[in-house]
Formats: sequence, C-alpha cells, structure tokens
Amino acid sequence: MAVTETPPETVAAAGSATPAATRPAPTGLAAVLGSGDHKVIGRLYIVTSLLFGLATVVLGGLFAFESVDAATLEVFSSGSVLQSFSLFRLATVFLVAIPLVIGVAMAVVPLQVGAPAVAFPRAAAASYWAWLVGSLLFIASYLMDGGPGGTSGSGVNLWIASFGMVLVAILLASLCLATTVFALRTSGLSLARTPLFSWSVAVAAVLWLFTLPVLVATLVVSYVDHRHAGGVLGGNAALAPRVGWALRNPQVYVVAIPLLGFFADVLATTAKARLALPGAARAAIGGAGVVSFGAVLATNDASAVETPLVIAMGLAAVLPALLIAGLIGDLFRRGSFRLTTGAVYAVSSLLLVLVATGAGALGSIPALETAGTIYDIGVAHATLVAAVIAALGGVHWWATKIGRQGANESLGKLVPLVLLIGGLLVSAPHLVSGIAGEGIETSPDWTGGIEGLNYVVVAGSVVLLLGLLLAAASFLPLFKASDQSPRDPWEGQTLEWLSPSPPPIGNFDADLPTVTSAEPLVDLREEN
Amino acid sequence: MTSAALVLPPAAPPARPRVLLVGTALASAATFMAFAWMIGLYVSERSAVVSAGGTWLPDGSNIPLTPGNMAFATMLISGVSIWWAVESVGRNDRQMAYLALALSILLGAAVINATSFLYSQIDLPVASTPGALIYTITGAHIAMLGFAMVYAAVMVFRTLGGEYSGRDREGLVAAALFWYVTIAVHAVIWYAIYIVK
Repeated sequence: MAVTETPPETVAAAGSATPAATRPAPTGLAAVLGSGDHKVIGRLYIVTSLLFGLATVVLGGLFAFESVDAATLEVFSSGSVLQSFSLFRLATVFLVAIPLVIGVAMAVVPLQVGAPAVAFPRAAAASYWAWLVGSLLFIASYLMDGGPGGTSGSGVNLWIASFGMVLVAILLASLCLATTVFALRTSGLSLARTPLFSWSVAVAAVLWLFTLPVLVATLVVSYVDHRHAGGVLGGNAALAPRVGWALRNPQVYVVAIPLLGFFADVLATTAKARLALPGAARAAIGGAGVVSFGAVLATNDASAVETPLVIAMGLAAVLPALLIAGLIGDLFRRGSFRLTTGAVYAVSSLLLVLVATGAGALGSIPALETAGTIYDIGVAHATLVAAVIAALGGVHWWATKIGRQGANESLGKLVPLVLLIGGLLVSAPHLVSGIAGEGIETSPDWTGGIEGLNYVVVAGSVVLLLGLLLAAASFLPLFKASDQSPRDPWEGQTLEWLSPSPPPIGNFDADLPTVTSAEPLVDLREEN
Repeated sequence: MTSAALVLPPAAPPARPRVLLVGTALASAATFMAFAWMIGLYVSERSAVVSAGGTWLPDGSNIPLTPGNMAFATMLISGVSIWWAVESVGRNDRQMAYLALALSILLGAAVINATSFLYSQIDLPVASTPGALIYTITGAHIAMLGFAMVYAAVMVFRTLGGEYSGRDREGLVAAALFWYVTIAVHAVIWYAIYIVK
C-alpha cells in the first residue's frame, strides 16, 4: 500500500455527514504507535524534541564552560570534543528546533485550514518514526566515534546515513504540511484567507523542500566518497564544512518563519481586531522565505558569503519581521489590549528574532569580517531560541487543541521571559566576540569567543534549561483529562477554535460554514 | 461560538483538491533540487580540473556515446508511453492502459539496463573524483527511475481498481508528472555527463 493513500477514516470524515467523532478512538499503545492522527503525531514530535532540547541545552552549557579556558579540557576528551560540538550544533537545528516547529504545525495547521486530517497521514506518521529512529542512530554514531572527524569508518558511515534519514523524515513532514495548506483548505478558504500561521508554515515547508534536498544530496555524495571512493572528494574531513551552510544564516532563518505567522495570529486575536493589510503580512512572510534560501551557500567557495546576492539577502532578512511588527502595532492602535500568555510568548520570540536578523544584517557587511567566525553561531542561537519560544508559545496558545486542557497560565507568562533572557545570554557573547575580531579566538567552533564572556553563555544555558523545565511544568495540565476544556478560550479568529477541545478524529463535530474572510469566526460573531 | 457556527447553512463540500498531484509536484521539485546540486558539483569540479590544465577523466577511461544516447532516447520514448497510459485511463480503456503501462515499465527497465551496460564500458574507478560523482549521480537517477516505475504501476492499478474514475485520474497524472521530472533530470545528466563528459 502506498504511503500516499488516504486512510479510510479520513475519507469517512471528509465525505460523510456523520461526524467522525462517533467512531471509537483507538486507545493505549495502538493510539500512539499506529496513529495517523495529526494531533498525535504533533504531540509525539513536541514531546520528543523537548526531551532532545533539554539534553542539547546541557551539552551547550558544557561547551560554554569548556570554552572559558580553551587551553585545557575539563569536560570532554581531545578525541571527542570536536565531534561533540558538531552534535550540539546539528542537534539544535535538526533534533530540536525544526521538529518542535513541525510538531506544533502538524497539530494545528489541519485545524486552522478546516481539514479533517493532515495530507498523507501515513506519510506524516512515517516522518515522525523515521525522524526518531534516525535521531537515535545519529546519536549512536557519535558514541561509535563516528561524527565528523571521527576515527571509526563504520561510525562515520552511520553518521552520514542517519543524518540523511533525519533529513528525509523532515522533508516528508514538510511535504505533508505544505500539501495540507495548498490542497486541503475548506470551502471559501483561499490562500489569501489562509491563517497567517498556516501560511508561514507552508512557506517554511516549501523552503525546506527546496533546500534540504541539497543537504541530502551532499550526504549521498559524501557517503559514496567515504564508503567507496576513499575520500577523493575530501572524505571525513570535508563533512563538517559541507553541512555548515545549513547551520548558519540565512538557512537557519527558515525555522523562524512560522514565528512570524504565530506572532500575527496571536496578537490579532489578542487585540480583537482584523489585520488591516493581510496581503502585506502574507507578502512579508513570503519575503522572509525568499531571503532565507540558504542553499546558495552550498558550495565549496568560502567567499560565497561575500557575493552581492548573499549580502542583500542578509541585509533584507530583518525587514519581514519589522513589517509584521508594524502591522501588529497598527492593530493595537485600532483594537484593544489583553495580556495573554500567547502574546507574551509572541512578543518575546519576535524581539529575539529581530535581534537575530538585525545581527545577521550587520554581520553580512563584509567590512566587519564576521563571516565564518563565532558571530554566525550567535546569530544562529538567537534565531533558534526565538523559534523555540514561538513553538512553545504555540503549544500554550493551542493547548486545548494539542492536549486535553489549557496550560498553566501564571507559569506560562514567566516562561517566555526566562527563555528570552536565556536566548540573549547565549547569543550576545558570541556576537560581541565575533565583532571584536583580530587577536581573539573567533573560529566557529568550541574554542571560539572571548574566554571571560563564555561565563555569560554558561549562565545563559542554565537560564534556558530553567525556562524549558518551567515550560514543561506549565504544560503538565495538557496531559490531564477534562470535560471543561473550552472550544475557544481566546475568542479566536480562525477555524481551529470551532473544533471541540480536544478535537476528535476528523477534527470537527459539525459541518463548517463557507469561509468568506481571513477571520471567519469574527464574521460569525458579527452575523450573530 | 459553537452555536453561532451551527446556525449557518453548511458549506458546500469543497471540490476535492488534487492532494496527490500537489504532493507529487512538491516532491518532484525537491528531488530536482537534489540533482541540481549534484550536477552543479560535477560541473564545478570538472571545470576546476580542466581550467587547471588537467584532464577530467583518468587515463584509460572513456564514456562512449552510444549507450548514453540509447538510454536517453529510450527515456524520451517512455514519456510518450506514460502519456499514452494516462490517456487510456482517461478513456477507461483498460487494455490499452495496461499495455501502455507495461511498455513504460519495460522502457524504464531498458534505461537501467543501458546505464548498467555503460558502467561496464567506461572503465572508471569509483575511487576517483569523476568516478565518485558519475556513479553517484547516475545511480541516484536509477533509484529515482525505479521509484517512478513503482509509482506509475501502483497508480495505474489503483485507478483501474476503481479508486479513480476515468475522468478523475489524479493518481496517474501525478505519477506521470514524476516520470516527466525523471526524464528532465536524465536530460541534464545526458548533456552534462554523457555529452560534455
């Protein structure tokens, strides 16, 4: 059976007048292992990536501690330090930030576009399990001394293959998400009316579909080179430089694109007003996609970062976030203001992404000579933490749709602020060290940075760890069953708030009305 | 909120969007990007060697034109046969559809055969830069072609099994789209590797 086949329960939910909620839902382990339900898959992605996130933050803190005195090794051995650092950098992107964003998107996007299921549900489920197995093998390859620079030939082969598996899984999830937005919207919900979060997820998914295959191809070539060709194309030593473009700006900005949609959706709801220029917001998010096309740096030529195209992309990357912020500012001028936890998350993540893209714009100026230094790591860390804040904000905002009831509000308001401080502390020292330039260790590896400033990074890692633990604590109510979970706790504007909380298989317990604007629930309130 | 939604007349069922076609288009674009990078790397490495005054293929290695040309010509013909399969399904002509599909798969197998014959003729060690790249790129293309063959077969059988009607042949159109992208990738490989070498 092809993985593209729509499962029977989805067809029934889409085509039958009988609500799919009446179908008995699978229980126990079968509900997890065998489920093609996008909410279950999303939850799996979220929980697993958060666990990886806790471990990754600890690893990052250890590296910062090690960098305080780079001349001596306190924690790692000389044989493992470079490999472990590559694990830390790759895990932040491919084991934490991207899957966390995908998890929230997987749970929410089908609801937002009024679809009964995600497109290709079996492929979506396969993406999670392939990502999980690939991630575990990826970590195992490091234990075999097989990361970039490792001495175990089999371990390096496993590293390449497992990393490829992780990427293919992410591509599969991206395919499901993009197809859901492009082809499974309900009646009247044109692309121009698609909620901004779903639109931003579609833009990010398409970007991943256009750029990550380049990384997969890189790994295929590297595998043949390492396994069969004796390293004529650089072999083991070339692995880390070849994948480096995926860990720096502009490519790393892709993971933050859904943040823009989350920010706009949440704050429009918070302000209880319609966005004045939704087309401009959509264009800004699309523009963020254009300037995040990092595959232009997938070349052996190190001077590619100084080409006019890449410089222009770096300078322009800050504009979409500024435009969205401006549009939301106008909302609050016309609407009202409520201090919702979602708004705190959204504002915190946007502030950090403004720092990231602003720093990236500054760093793209060739005269500052920051390219290839630890400055890139600072930009990447700020971007990734911003994306994580937004994703956790998504879990909080859509808690009644993702979990069984809402998250802890008072604790929730604290989390984004803690994470914002942690994000600034782990990224700012690297930015300062990169700008400081000559005479200081500025290489983009674990030895980089002004040694004293690395104490700040250690502190930042501790704060980030605290923030993640607080977030996990605030999400504990999501696991408890409740009959009192409201459909629409925030007076939302988009279709997901019409579904019961938690949503059943098939997502909606009644036929949806024809959508006539980008804010269908506002229309319903006005008509009634 | 809920009651407000329920009092409105339900929307007309959405015209079932072409989910499989959209998904296949995105997957095809992703696959094309992977090949674009690999062929770009091949051209870049070759250009670096040639501009430095070296020879690209090692001594004793050669890429004969005939098998590569035959493979590409066969691939082009398979584009016609897969189109024939789509048309036959559109007319609910089961016999012609099976014939066209069988021919397409046979032609696909012939392309794989011609490429493997080419491997036996070029005497190119994999432990060389051109060898590693040529075997990787053409091998990846064979994998892509294999997937296209399986995809087309599955979709034809599902269409003729009644999942899609003659007028609704989205599955086979999607498979045909992937097939055409496979041909497009082969065209680039043919020119960059077999002709330019």
